[in-house]
Amino acid sequence: MAVDPITFSIIRHRLYRVVDEAVITLKHVSGSAITNEGHDLMVSLYRADGSLLMGGVGFLHHLTSAAEACKAIIRRFEGRINEGDVFLLNDPYTAALHTSDIYLVAPIHHNGQLVAWSACFVHVYDIGAKNPGGFCPDAEDIYTEGYSSPGVRLVNKGELNQDVLDTLLNMVRSPEMVTLDIRSMIACNNVAHDRMLSLIDKYGYDTVDEACSQLIEQSEQQLRARLRELPDGTWESRQYLEVLDEVYKVNLKMTKSGDELVFDFTGSSPQSKYSVNCTQWASLGGLFAPLFPLICYDITWNEGCISPIKMIAPEGSIVNCTRPAPVSVATVGAIQSVNNAACTTIGKMLQTSEKYAKEATSVWHANHFAIFKFGRSQRGGEAIGIFTETFAGAGGARTYADGVDVGGEIPNPISRMANVETVENTFPIRYLFRRRMTDSGGPGKYRGGTGMEFAVVQHDSPDGGMHYVVSGKGANFPMSEGLAGGYPGAPNSYQWVHNNEAKAEGTNVDVRGTQSIEEMPGEKEDVTWGVFPLMGDDALYVRWNGGGGYGDPLARDPDAVVEDVVGGVVSADAARDVYGVAINQSGNGHDAEGTAAMRSSMRSARLVLEAAE
Amino acid sequence: MSAAFSGSLAIVDTDDGQMIACQSCERPLVATGQPWKPNAAVKELPMHGAGGGAYESADHVVLRQFYCPGCGALLDTETAMSDDPFLNDVINV
Ligand SMILES: [Zn+2]
Repeated sequence: MAVDPITFSIIRHRLYRVVDEAVITLKHVSGSAITNEGHDLMVSLYRADGSLLMGGVGFLHHLTSAAEACKAIIRRFEGRINEGDVFLLNDPYTAALHTSDIYLVAPIHHNGQLVAWSACFVHVYDIGAKNPGGFCPDAEDIYTEGYSSPGVRLVNKGELNQDVLDTLLNMVRSPEMVTLDIRSMIACNNVAHDRMLSLIDKYGYDTVDEACSQLIEQSEQQLRARLRELPDGTWESRQYLEVLDEVYKVNLKMTKSGDELVFDFTGSSPQSKYSVNCTQWASLGGLFAPLFPLICYDITWNEGCISPIKMIAPEGSIVNCTRPAPVSVATVGAIQSVNNAACTTIGKMLQTSEKYAKEATSVWHANHFAIFKFGRSQRGGEAIGIFTETFAGAGGARTYADGVDVGGEIPNPISRMANVETVENTFPIRYLFRRRMTDSGGPGKYRGGTGMEFAVVQHDSPDGGMHYVVSGKGANFPMSEGLAGGYPGAPNSYQWVHNNEAKAEGTNVDVRGTQSIEEMPGEKEDVTWGVFPLMGDDALYVRWNGGGGYGDPLARDPDAVVEDVVGGVVSADAARDVYGVAINQSGNGHDAEGTAAMRSSMRSARLVLEAAE
Repeated sequence: MSAAFSGSLAIVDTDDGQMIACQSCERPLVATGQPWKPNAAVKELPMHGAGGGAYESADHVVLRQFYCPGCGALLDTETAMSDDPFLNDVINV
């Protein structure tokens, strides 16, 4: 029998709150910056069969793969799943994205019957991979990417299996931090369990169960109805990944017909010898990360949103690699490429609709950089941590507005970066500067949001410095694609500035007083993949991409361009050469006639070119 | 104009049926159901420096620009290696 609409709404909102409260618990108990500062986490609720019931916030790539994790545990432990159990799973070939993102999934029983699951993940402090922090540019295969489990019982009827936990802790760096990560996830699942049961106690199991079924049915109907409002068609996109001298492509053709969407990755590169590959569950999560917020922004994220969607990902390709290919860099590698490619095709489809064009977006922060610093802290302990700046992102331009500068990213609505002071308090490093990067936002009628640039040196390190692991998709390709004529955001850049050598050769520039990479005396070396030192006066300079632009840059309001130049986010050169705006002598306005003339001649030049061809 | 194809292209009714056309000047490019890019003016710029100084690290890659042959409006861009095929978008209305 259908649940009355008011009770249905109350239960739906209570389910949201269950997830919210579990997320808060996770953050309160976890001690690591990647969880607390970067918000690299996820909590969701699942039905008794493992299907998605209530997708939570955090990294949206995980909503569908954690469903697969629940299903894998159900298959493995069938008949042996007890009240109070918690299972750990982090094998990417079973369900996880990479070994560092450990899933803890917990059954929720009511009167002895399995009624639901909660699942969460954090990127644990370390997983025992070849490189500290889990992203592993030196991995040749999955066997060198640390501890990996296709499913193990961590908590048995409410009692921690200390031997299982100790086995994991025995294989990782900084076990005291990893145990905190694990315990934060146990606490998170406990809270989800308790709140879910109090919901059932209040409304009765039958009512809650029926409301959950209705909720999934409602989502499916709403998504199918929305798809029927959009035209049928096919839209294509392409993303590049580069590791050292190897270039890989992720090709996507998205076909919408009736109330279904097919994402076809045929033609993508074969799997790589490097760890940028991803497994099929990861690709599925990657395409849902933009789909949930862009198409299902007012639809409950659950199994009903998954039914109308199909994915074709050729086996043995970079988006569906086969064991034992390494995948530790997947989350900033092929998964993010899938997510970017899907963001573009979805945006292209949405902009055909007057009703939904405002939901379309150019690609946001398309090139995550995983840079983990490691070594001894100023207090002598072991310290490993990501530069959380990668979570600060950059917004893509929309059909009606600029992208938000340093505006986050699509797949994680709550991501953010740590304060400089927090990082300097925890690691023996000093920031020289951190600010918005000029010209990084993709030009367009609406400009992509900027990324940033920053530089760090070691400071007060007991060992004279630290090291860092760099991985990602390289720095040669812009990846935050624009729409409707908008340019892509600028590419990333990572540079090792060799100030020590410059000092030895007699430069008297005080590196610690420099405010830009240009002021630094040392030679600049591109570093995109591997382990590098941060010793003495050497600096690490990082610049990250802006969001993609929207529309023709020559159609941008010239006053907005002036404002960008005054604010330092667009250079005077780009204002002239890309936007066709004649900035006046004082630099605070533009010459309207000059701008009109320049734009007219730039448009004519485009046509002259056609005649020449 | 009846509907949008993108932020730069419209779908218009013509004597030859529905066409994809430039939004700025309404010049028709191709019938709906067909890829429009082969009928646009195409220019490839090196991505290096394309959008300003921050694009200096770009390498191996071009910014492919598709212009309206009627008015020179920039209709679409692609990040591409020079031998990559066009990304074709087709709408069936
Ligand atoms: Zn035109």
